[in-house]
Amino acid sequence: MALLKGTLDVLVLKTLSWTPMHAYEIVQWIEARSDSRVLVDDPAMIQALHRLEERKLVVAEWGVTKNGRRARYYRLTPAGKVNLREESERLTDYVDAFVTILAAKKA
Amino acid sequence: MIRGLRPGILRLFRLPLRGAASIHADVDEEFAAMRLARIDALVAMGVTPEEARARVLECHGNLAVVRDQLRDSAERRERRMRFATYIDDLVQDIRYAARGLWRRPSFAIVAVLTLAIGIGATTAIFSAVNTLLLYPLPYEHPDELMRVSLTHSGRDGFVAGTPTSWSFPKYQMFAENQKSFADMSLFEDVQFTITGADAERVKGEYVGANYLRTLGLRTSMGRDFDPSVDKPLGAANEVLISANFWRRRFNADPRALNSTLSLDNKVFTIIGVTPEFFQGLNGGAEVFVPVASRASSDLPAGRSEFLLVARRKPGVSANQADAAVSILAAEVSRAFPNPESSNLERGVAEPLDGLRVAPLVRQALLVIFGAVTFVLLIACVNVANVLLGRAASRRREIAIRVAVGAGRGRLVRLLLTESMMLALAGGVASLGVAWAGVAFFRTIDPSLSERAARVTHGFVLGTVGFSDVSFDWRTLGFTFALVVLVGVAFGLAPALHSTSLSLGTALNDGIPMSSSGRHRRRSSGRRVLVVAETALALVLLAGSGLMVRSLAQLLAVDLGFDARHLLTMRLTVPPNSLVPDSLPGFYAQVLEHVRAVPGVTDAAINNCMPLSGGCVASEMRRLDHPDIDLDHAPAVRVVRVSPEWFTTVRVALKGGRGFTLSDHQGSQPVVLVNEAASRAIFPDGATIGKHVEVGAGGIRDGEIIGIVGNVRQRLDSAEGPTVYVSYLQSPSAGMIIYARTSGDAAAVGPSVRQAIRAIAPQYPIYDMAIMSAHIASATAQQRLTAALLAAFALTALTLAAVGIYGVTALSVSTRTREIGIRIALGADPRQVQRSIIGEGIILAAIGTVIGIAGALLCTRALQSLLFELSPGDPATYVVIVGLITMTATLASWLPARRAAKVDPVTALRAE
Repeated sequence: MALLKGTLDVLVLKTLSWTPMHAYEIVQWIEARSDSRVLVDDPAMIQALHRLEERKLVVAEWGVTKNGRRARYYRLTPAGKVNLREESERLTDYVDAFVTILAAKKA
Repeated sequence: MIRGLRPGILRLFRLPLRGAASIHADVDEEFAAMRLARIDALVAMGVTPEEARARVLECHGNLAVVRDQLRDSAERRERRMRFATYIDDLVQDIRYAARGLWRRPSFAIVAVLTLAIGIGATTAIFSAVNTLLLYPLPYEHPDELMRVSLTHSGRDGFVAGTPTSWSFPKYQMFAENQKSFADMSLFEDVQFTITGADAERVKGEYVGANYLRTLGLRTSMGRDFDPSVDKPLGAANEVLISANFWRRRFNADPRALNSTLSLDNKVFTIIGVTPEFFQGLNGGAEVFVPVASRASSDLPAGRSEFLLVARRKPGVSANQADAAVSILAAEVSRAFPNPESSNLERGVAEPLDGLRVAPLVRQALLVIFGAVTFVLLIACVNVANVLLGRAASRRREIAIRVAVGAGRGRLVRLLLTESMMLALAGGVASLGVAWAGVAFFRTIDPSLSERAARVTHGFVLGTVGFSDVSFDWRTLGFTFALVVLVGVAFGLAPALHSTSLSLGTALNDGIPMSSSGRHRRRSSGRRVLVVAETALALVLLAGSGLMVRSLAQLLAVDLGFDARHLLTMRLTVPPNSLVPDSLPGFYAQVLEHVRAVPGVTDAAINNCMPLSGGCVASEMRRLDHPDIDLDHAPAVRVVRVSPEWFTTVRVALKGGRGFTLSDHQGSQPVVLVNEAASRAIFPDGATIGKHVEVGAGGIRDGEIIGIVGNVRQRLDSAEGPTVYVSYLQSPSAGMIIYARTSGDAAAVGPSVRQAIRAIAPQYPIYDMAIMSAHIASATAQQRLTAALLAAFALTALTLAAVGIYGVTALSVSTRTREIGIRIALGADPRQVQRSIIGEGIILAAIGTVIGIAGALLCTRALQSLLFELSPGDPATYVVIVGLITMTATLASWLPARRAAKVDPVTALRAE
């Protein structure tokens, strides 16, 4: 399932709210949590991360993975946390409305 | 943990976080890492490594676009972060530097003042140089404009080659035959009387019809002369007026156009107003009257009165034009042979730009500019010196900073910030100095440059004057940049030096067990600077000393008359007002009224003001040697005087008798000669009783009845031969009235003016001044040069003193411990003091020797400005060397006294 525009950022923030991760970990995490229903391609993920970094919602540092490889680790900033809360409320609200409309039956 | 540490370290060192290359590498590496992670994951799921790599590469297919986007955004981010860090650091540096400067305010004040004087004075002087010598003349393509003149053939005491004027017929022949110039116009400096109501005397010019067109100017209102107005003569009755005159006399009323103006009893129609700034090439002109308004009988070939300005044709060089003029002028001169001379005039064309100020003023300005450059140089040296001294005294502090881990780059930046702050403060302060300097220049009598030219000879453009000197921002910018550069260079040198020290040396250095050899080596830079400063200051002192002495000599000159309590003014009877024969009667009446004014003890007239530079000259021929023709007769100045002029102005009668009222038009013509004429023309001694013919006075056969003393026409040269004729026998329309007063001459001025007005309301009285003002203006250029040079020299001396003081004081403070030990071991404090003073004096002595050599070289430029003084005048040098020695002694005595008072116990404990 492809992602709706603008929703990837929230998913990334949500993922990072658990623990700092590198790009591939985030991809895996999203895939696992969505039972592989949500698939993110790598360039889109990195673009999203850089976008968030530029908005100062995440910060990045180089670190070492458990396989002993270098990787760029992303961590949520306080601003990122605020943003995540707001955005997930907004999206939840939206999805709720969406579902309500779609589920409406003829009276 | 690692992740948390790195930015911390970065922040600690204040290094830029990442460069562009590392950002690119980051983006690439991140993708690579992601590919590897995917491959790892696939392999973990049982896919063969080759298969996994192939699959991943496939889905990472075309990454180029994405990668570029990512790189761009990453770079933007980095730039922002780096800038923020930079500002952060800068604020910190500024705060630190300000604290440091605040802690030692004397250091900061000396540096800022030095800079302010150096930058400010240079800006002010260069503003003047720029306006007076460099700024393009305000005409179209000013480089094409030339003054074309005939030149003297080198007789009659005139210097060969000095420019003389054109007569109208000569000009006409020249204009018809020349091929080098596209446009040309005559012009002549004249004064007109505006007759009728509101009589006043105005400066004006007789001009050719193409005057404005030649200069590339257009009237700001109305129209220019018709080009054809030059012929026929006598027909033109149109006039242009200056914008200033239009405002002043017509209240800027446009109806002034086409109204009439009566000049010297002749009626003209105003046809236009000249551009705002333009007041004629002579300066100050308010009306422009076409030469063609005069009758041809008024413009004979023998009356040389016009200057000529011409615009070169495109493609004709200045040299080509000059060569062409030279050939054509010789032809013109042959065509109009001088009935009294067989010598030919020559011609010369010179760029108008070279005539903007008198050669002496130019010379003086350049000398002053040279001097201020020296001051700037000294200022730079001093600032460098101060910074070096400061760096030396901070070695320990810097060493500690290095020890606790401050990066070298960061330290250098910190020290540079300090230099830059000083430079900025100095720059701001220099604005004040520069403004004051420019304001001072503006107050200089605007006619100074003109007058100096008249006194030498020849014409000078009145277009530029001291009053036009304007603040030159570009100069300020330039000088400021220069000083900042110096600040950076000298701020950097000690910064690099002190940061490259090994920790051990620098820290130990705080406890100098000074072998003075090491100490000396370390501060040798400063010593060299002090020597340089002293040498530069000496050069300036020598220059100013010479100018001051020259000025004193000039002021002590015997004028040949008594200038105290003497009021002068001009009174001119306009042409066509009185017949010449009634002039003596009119002036006698005027004098009578002037004498009746309370406070006036005596009054007289003549037509040649002393110290004005010169008057009409003519040939005088001895009638007892008829074989000498007028051609080879010596030139004499011819002055018309009233009989009582010599007693009023107090010119000594050296022999014979003076004029009396009975030497009038009906009696035997008589003349007086001055001593110079007596010596030059009658070397045999028997002057009185001889008969002479005088050209300009109209005296065919005059008897010499007496000899009078010489009266200076120029302060800087003795008077040449002069012959006096009585105005009763040889009347003239324009005279100068002299009133000797019992008290303050200036106070009597208004009542004298009123007295003359009462009998001659229709004639203008002008140029009223006291004689001492004439002397002041005759010495204006010399006084200005002397005053400016003296100011610069004193500044230089002060700066040098500060330099010597600084070096000795530093030497004392770094050697406190050593001095303490010496005194503890029994050294005589006075001995210590002497040795320290000696150090300062040795520096000054080396500087003095170098300075004298430099001064002997540089003051040669003053040669033409000095009055009866050699640039190598020994007395001047003795005085300034004494002055330097005294200053150096004083400057090193102050810190030396502190050294002698060192208490050994305190000194040894201090570290």
